[in-house]
Amino acid sequence: MKKMSNKYRHLVWPLASLALLLLYNAFFTEDFFKVYVKKGNASEQTQVVGKKDNTPAAQQPVAQPTEQQPPAEQQPVAQPTEQQPPAEQQPVAQTAEQSQPEEKDGGFSIFDYHFSGTPVLILKQGSEVMLLAIGMTLVIATGGIDISVGAVMAIAGAVAALLMDMFEHQLPASAMETGLYWLIPVFAALLLATLCGFWNGMLVAGCGIQPMVATLVLMVSGRGMAQLITSIGRSKPEQITFQSEQLAFLRNGYVLMVPCCLWIVVIMYIIAGLLTRKTALGLFIESVGNNEHASRYAGIESRRIKWLAYIICGFCAGMAGLLTLCDTKSIDANNAGLYLELDAILATVIGGTSMAGGRFFLSGSLIGAILIQTLTATMIANKVDSSIIPLPKALVVIIVCLLQSPVFRAKVFSLFASKSAKGGVQ
Amino acid sequence: MNKFATVIMAAAAATLLVTACSKKDPNKTYVGISQVGAESDWRRASTKSIEDAVAQRPQIVMTFADAMQKQENQIKAIRSFIRKKVDVISFSPVVSSGFEDILKEAKKANIPVVIFDRAVDTDPSLYVSLVGSDFTEEGRRAARWLIANKPAKDSIKVIELSGTAGSAPAIERQKGFAEIIESTPEIKVVVSQSGNFTRVEGKKVMENILQTPEGKDFDVLFAHNDDMALGAIEAIRDVGKVPGKDIIIISVDGIKDMFQEILKGNANCTVECNPLIGPTLFDVIEKVKKGETVPPRIPSLEGVFDSIGGIEVGNEETPVQTTKITQEIIDGRAY
Amino acid sequence: MKTFKIPLRYVPIAATISVFCVVYLIGIICYDGFGVLSIFDLLQDNSYLGIAAIGTALVILTGGIDLSVGSVIAFTTILIAKILVAGGNAFLAISLALALGTLFGFCQGCLIHYFSLPPFLLTLAGMFFVRGCAFVVNVSDVPIKRDAVFDFVTDNLSISIGSEITISFYVVVYIVLLIAAIIFSQRTRAGRNIYAIGDNELAATLMGIPVGRTKIMTYTIAGFCYALGGVAFAFYLKSGYASHCVGMEMEAIAAVVIGGTLLTGGVGYIFGSFFGVLVLGLITALITYDGLDSCWSRIIVGLLMLVFIFMQNMITKISKSKSKSH
Repeated sequence: MKKMSNKYRHLVWPLASLALLLLYNAFFTEDFFKVYVKKGNASEQTQVVGKKDNTPAAQQPVAQPTEQQPPAEQQPVAQPTEQQPPAEQQPVAQTAEQSQPEEKDGGFSIFDYHFSGTPVLILKQGSEVMLLAIGMTLVIATGGIDISVGAVMAIAGAVAALLMDMFEHQLPASAMETGLYWLIPVFAALLLATLCGFWNGMLVAGCGIQPMVATLVLMVSGRGMAQLITSIGRSKPEQITFQSEQLAFLRNGYVLMVPCCLWIVVIMYIIAGLLTRKTALGLFIESVGNNEHASRYAGIESRRIKWLAYIICGFCAGMAGLLTLCDTKSIDANNAGLYLELDAILATVIGGTSMAGGRFFLSGSLIGAILIQTLTATMIANKVDSSIIPLPKALVVIIVCLLQSPVFRAKVFSLFASKSAKGGVQ
Repeated sequence: MNKFATVIMAAAAATLLVTACSKKDPNKTYVGISQVGAESDWRRASTKSIEDAVAQRPQIVMTFADAMQKQENQIKAIRSFIRKKVDVISFSPVVSSGFEDILKEAKKANIPVVIFDRAVDTDPSLYVSLVGSDFTEEGRRAARWLIANKPAKDSIKVIELSGTAGSAPAIERQKGFAEIIESTPEIKVVVSQSGNFTRVEGKKVMENILQTPEGKDFDVLFAHNDDMALGAIEAIRDVGKVPGKDIIIISVDGIKDMFQEILKGNANCTVECNPLIGPTLFDVIEKVKKGETVPPRIPSLEGVFDSIGGIEVGNEETPVQTTKITQEIIDGRAY
Repeated sequence: MKTFKIPLRYVPIAATISVFCVVYLIGIICYDGFGVLSIFDLLQDNSYLGIAAIGTALVILTGGIDLSVGSVIAFTTILIAKILVAGGNAFLAISLALALGTLFGFCQGCLIHYFSLPPFLLTLAGMFFVRGCAFVVNVSDVPIKRDAVFDFVTDNLSISIGSEITISFYVVVYIVLLIAAIIFSQRTRAGRNIYAIGDNELAATLMGIPVGRTKIMTYTIAGFCYALGGVAFAFYLKSGYASHCVGMEMEAIAAVVIGGTLLTGGVGYIFGSFFGVLVLGLITALITYDGLDSCWSRIIVGLLMLVFIFMQNMITKISKSKSKSH
């Protein structure tokens, strides 16, 4: 233990907790670790959208099933007696068990298959929190906090959905087929989210307002703004949906058998890691969080560093908002990203970053986010009602916080030390 | 500092003076409406139907309050309607309990109350009428459709995605469904979990269920609303099963997106739960204002839609046959 | 001519009161049905928030924060409802709920103080914990059964003025608690200690103020206030539901901030949070009267908070520069 380099010490407790959780699952949860290979990829289901009179798909509803579903021939077929589907539709397939990979007819194309199973699900469902945790770690490291990320997610999702919906209804199908038109809503969403981060930074770094209060303003009003955005062109705020599978691929698709959203998370972490560790930015952030005055005297532009942290946090929230949007191709301004800020803060703290600021650990935050998601998945797999899940989550948080508190560790270990001293075994 | 106070006052004054100030007109009917929220397409369609109905009736002046799914907001809204001395109060309760006091206040103030969509769990003399769907019958129709179209197997396993725990539609649809499949022992509900009536949660819960042993071997998905079913369809597709073929998908509501999915073959049946309550509701409200008697329970007219058509899913009093979905029907759908 | 100058430390609360009065006036002029007596409606509809906000204000004054407000209220309502349905009487239910709330506050305070855990995180965990417990009690909503005690309290202990105004007993409880809290914070030593700790904890420790005891006591009182707010909510809605009051902690914090209390602690008045709650309730009420989209209330509340935050910021800077220039 003494030899363990300081670089990885912060990972000990989170990894230990995660290992414990996984061990529990290995014994008590059936099939927790099974990873399957499934056929199908969201990219197969691209359909041409656009004005109704131009889309061939709308006029031939019959043709669509063949485009969209993986061919049914590869699954055992049984004809139900009562149901007589019209001749155009494919025979209904009854599968008892389907978890084995289907026969690959000549050539295993990595683009047609994807990993599936609880571990993959955990990573997929946790991708929003993992993204949020990046920005949150940097903000907390500067000694601040950003509780508005959930609202910013809603705003970003709302803007992107609004633009996508507008494009799909106004643009002719030909423009949609060729263009990467969906990049525009993505860009708009990220821009708006970054602006929200800029606003938060302005309040905290520019005006010197306490971070919790400053971000509370956007948290309260942000959802109202997201609702306003979803009401543009409509009489009331609505849940906006879009059809493009290309955009939804970001969240639901698979690249090289691994979920696309996971790739996004990994790339963001790599970028963030390089940005903070290979440049002086990480050092400056830690310095500002540790002692702002001393940093300023040392020549670090502490205000700019803090501002930058909030901007990055806003950007991450924008990405997370896009992923939420793409999850179900719809956005509900009221509920998108609700309470995810709390999960992000938890992940950051579990990962070893102190709320007082200073040293931060992106890898720890990642492990923290995975831990939280694994906990949720464990609960669900063990038939715990989803509304009761916060309870064990809270206990885990308290335990991890206690373990991180030096006061607690000193008290507990001194208890053991004194016992062994009394026992006289040296 | 006094400058600051003036600025604040000016800002507040400006904000509120922009909105119209009103006085009462005796020829018009003033109605206060409190809606549950805007949590699903169905709910939004209901709200739109109400707004359209008001637009067509110039003698009605409506104050609309969205409770954002919080009961205390509804109580506050109803109290404000009482103070405004509206002619009729109408609301759809977020939860069924807890409205007794405010209804008593309304009664004391001699303002009649018409409830729509969901029922309240209170003394019926406190409100005039309940206008809305019969959720239990919707559950029964879904079960009857399943029995008429069940696959030829010894044991048919159903996964149920229920609505918000404790809400009237969820409880009643579950009851109705269970009531009918009881007579068919081979059909069993193996998992029942709440997806909170939203698309996102429906998808998430379904994703998790699909990883459990029950989720790897089931035949039917019964979702309490279309939004959850739509989310679940994506989750089912993701694990390589074919929704609509491997898994029979039955849900309730009848929104356009679901019709599209049935047409494409990704789902099988949807029991309509008619949100277009505006015209019926305001007919009742106008009658109430004139002092006419109205029946205490006014059910909505609802059908059942699927990809086949002609299947009998009603009961002896109200026979209902399913309608096959075509593109024309989809184009003609209001919601 | 003598100009009337408000002492700097009273400016925020003066601003809150003036905002309230102005908006109230506008409401009377513009909205039919909103009259001078609507203040009683506001009290009726927001007492539960007010009682809880007293606890939040005390905690914030010590420099901490408490996010478990909404969960404790929801837990209280479902507990009371379940006990009544199971046949217990109302006294038992209410006393148990209050005891549990106080115990919970005490535990939070101890953990925060003895292990130096950040209050934000611990009360966040506390919020999840209590919300989960509420769902364990019952998942769906339970109506609060009519009980002899409840009926007695509701019918007899409420004051009716004329045919329209009712001052329910929980409003009276709120006013009494408010007065008690004001006296406590301004006139007792423990109250002064709270301000001292919020202002500068280290200095307070060095001065000999029992920091630990005071902090734990504050969180305990806060827990009691939330449970009492939950009882008020139970009387108000007569419905127990584990999903009640989701997000209410932010409303309580917003009310306290609008009421002039600094989130860093040590500055502010309990009286201010009274007006903060009223302003919050007033905005929501007027937006309902107007029939505007509910999303506007969020935006307006956010804007108001921003204005008050800026004002507090400026005041702090001015008072700092004043003390330096001495």
